[in-house]
Amino acid sequence: MPVTSVDNYFEDFRVGDVYDHPRGRTIDNNDNLWITHVTMNTAQAHFNLDYMQHMMDGIFSERLVMGAVTVAMVVGLTSEDMSENAFMDQGLSAIRLSTPVYRDDTLYASSEVLEVRDSDERPDAGVVVYRFTGRKTDGSQVVQGERTLLVKRRSHWAADDGHGNEGRS
Amino acid sequence: MTTAIRRERGLLFEDFEIGQTFEHHWGRTVTASESMTYSNVTMNYNPLYFNVEYARRLGYDGILINPLLVYTTVLGLSVEDLSEAGGPFLGVDNLVFRTPVYDGDTITARSVTLGKRPSGSRPGWGIVEWRTTGLNQRGDEVLGYRRSNLSRMRNAEANR
Repeated sequence: MPVTSVDNYFEDFRVGDVYDHPRGRTIDNNDNLWITHVTMNTAQAHFNLDYMQHMMDGIFSERLVMGAVTVAMVVGLTSEDMSENAFMDQGLSAIRLSTPVYRDDTLYASSEVLEVRDSDERPDAGVVVYRFTGRKTDGSQVVQGERTLLVKRRSHWAADDGHGNEGRS
Repeated sequence: MTTAIRRERGLLFEDFEIGQTFEHHWGRTVTASESMTYSNVTMNYNPLYFNVEYARRLGYDGILINPLLVYTTVLGLSVEDLSEAGGPFLGVDNLVFRTPVYDGDTITARSVTLGKRPSGSRPGWGIVEWRTTGLNQRGDEVLGYRRSNLSRMRNAEANR
């Protein structure tokens, strides 16, 4: 039984391809709280409701979901399509958080492939850069960013990954 | 009657100077167990982050600690110095993952202030930019990034 899918190797990505990722994720305060605390983030806006309700003349009624939690959830929603066969995560850039996220917001994700190129270091993998966008159900954009991956090539890895004839390109 | 000691945490806009450096507190030893939980809860479906047999087959020494968790930990370690007293996070650029992190590695963080300017649209607030670096116990840079944040000015407190 193959561990990973057969349709998301390096050879499968084309510049300009757009992905509409099917799953959504409703964010709970527990998601926000445990990641905030386990990473020792001491910004009270993420975990002190009393503080938050008095900040900036009371414009907030809830704790803000920490930005890195929003990024992680949206990247996660893209992952089965975009990075399941990644050999490594190389980086992220241009991360912009445009709308605050609160508990009970449901996030959806889409992606656009920006760059596909050979790797200087590994003949068995190539570089894929894509832009991820996270939105709430009302369509408002909560985050956008670019993610750079080194992705396995089907030609070098599909057999080892357990794909038979379907894996041959 | 004794006065209670209350140590306010965090720095304000006026406290930042271009070129100043911070060696952030605490450090954090990361474990495969929490990284696997993090990867699963954030639905990050690359088996490198939760299947040790798969990670070894790809040539790694073991489960890779999810680099997003390492980044979030480095960010967390930097918050008291950089942004606890501040306001909303504005963005991150050029986050580069340089060295794989494994179970039991200890991560520390340091930053340098790159720039500061008053906010054009929000009186009483400024924008500060830093470069932050995460290191492992051998001193290897595991990741680095640039972050900018709104930072409250001291004189803004009178308006609260």
